[in-house]
Amino acid sequence: MILSAALCPSPPLLVRELSGADPAAAELREACSAAVAMLTASAPDVIAVVGAADRTETWPTDARLDLSGYGGPPGPGVARPAPLAVGMGALLLDEVGYRGPRLLRSVGPDEPLSGYHRVAAEIDAAAPRVGLLVMADGTARRTLRAPGYLDERAAPFDAEIQRAVSTGDLATLQALDRALARELMATGWPALQVLGAAFGDRRMSTKVRYADAPFGVGYLVATVGDLGRVAGRQAHQVPKILRG
Amino acid sequence: MSDGPREPGVLRLGRHSFDVHRRLVMAIVNRTPDSFYDRGATWREDAAMERVHAVVADGADILDIGGVPAAPGAEVDVAEEIRRTVPFVAAVREAYPDIVISVDTWRHEVAREVCAVGADLLNDTWGGWDDRLAEVAAEYGAALLCAHAGGLPPRTRPFRVAYDDVMADVLDRTLALARRAVAAGVDPSRILIDPAHDFGKNTWHSLEVTRRLDEMVATNWPVLVSLSNKDFVGETLDAPLGERLVGTLAATSVCAWLGARVFRVHHVRETRQTLDMVSAIRQESPPARTVRGLA
Repeated sequence: MILSAALCPSPPLLVRELSGADPAAAELREACSAAVAMLTASAPDVIAVVGAADRTETWPTDARLDLSGYGGPPGPGVARPAPLAVGMGALLLDEVGYRGPRLLRSVGPDEPLSGYHRVAAEIDAAAPRVGLLVMADGTARRTLRAPGYLDERAAPFDAEIQRAVSTGDLATLQALDRALARELMATGWPALQVLGAAFGDRRMSTKVRYADAPFGVGYLVATVGDLGRVAGRQAHQVPKILRG
Repeated sequence: MSDGPREPGVLRLGRHSFDVHRRLVMAIVNRTPDSFYDRGATWREDAAMERVHAVVADGADILDIGGVPAAPGAEVDVAEEIRRTVPFVAAVREAYPDIVISVDTWRHEVAREVCAVGADLLNDTWGGWDDRLAEVAAEYGAALLCAHAGGLPPRTRPFRVAYDDVMADVLDRTLALARRAVAAGVDPSRILIDPAHDFGKNTWHSLEVTRRLDEMVATNWPVLVSLSNKDFVGETLDAPLGERLVGTLAATSVCAWLGARVFRVHHVRETRQTLDMVSAIRQESPPARTVRGLA
């Protein structure tokens, strides 16, 4: 059962080797690390990474990002490099020292909505205590300097994601418009669908740790669930408690 | 034509022939209110003509006139681009009958109009987006620049672009464009290739194509580089727009050393000096004056 989740964006600039001598976005990096650290501290049986990619697929648990495509140093000979969002999730887990079991899943942008539900259900059934790491970016059209230039619809779109997450009303993420997401270059839309399906109708306790668009791309970092609880408590009951 | 290596040869632009050791300065002259570096400084026609006079005096070999900024922004349609460029090209041609005039456009409709009033080179920075551009170059006997934009549509920015091998992609795309141009009838001695720094590339990619520019030069197609004040310089040196000249000239030196032949720039005099210095180091041209230890 999925008991807790962390939400992080997946810009390549989070990778230390790609970000130069004096990296930008230190605050974002710290927020991501803190969110993932909280997720691992909840002592799940397994952590499932879900990120958007060209298609829905399960990746080998040792799959990693190939930095050389982005101009970084060649990696240690990864046979099948993970797509960006999945690889970034794996990297964040590595960076906080997580060595436990992991599942790596990508979700494509063209699945029927039931497809995202199915992925969420499969992850939910993977273990009694599942931690979910959702790697999802907002729009890439927030400012004139944004990768996709300014689109006035981008800020409200990202605000809606933030509202759903900050209020714990995650199911409403499923109402995000797919076509609009594509127009606004909101590459994280498929992964947000899985997050929207992950907790059913349960209203979750959440904490937004970062929400900004310093480079014109919407970055949202959040944690979901009662992650402060000590490992070993009856954590699977947390959602029921929160529901009341 | 064959895919084998060409012989290094003269580059023909307009009425001029330039041998392989000539390093040419192409001066940017924007007819835009919103280009990234000059921010509309030469938007008015008289200001643009003043810039032409200045860069010719500073030693520019080629003028590159553009009517549409590379960055996304307000739509500039074909008619507006023609309005911005064609009368100006005609005026420059009248003032300087001999200078090489390039026009920065991806649109064949604009290309046709500027060639009709005297443009010598079509600078297709967006990498063959409009495949009829080569036909226009062939029809008018104009030269054509074949650039690598990584397949991005005109006026878009790279977003998390990744390459298996960025230089391999640069070579694949630019050489394919060059072959297509030859097939369309463009004179092979009037074709250049350009890795197009920052177009479809992050800073790491632009640094890599700089470092590996000899691989482009080895094709023996003349290589043009456009480095001037670009973001890869700014990000590398953490330098804002107004403080990128030194980094630009450093990259210029490296590209010149590795064999680039044309340099598209904002700062003509500084670039001319940099290139002359590289030429002297390479023993391709003599120093201006040598007295030290010789008197």
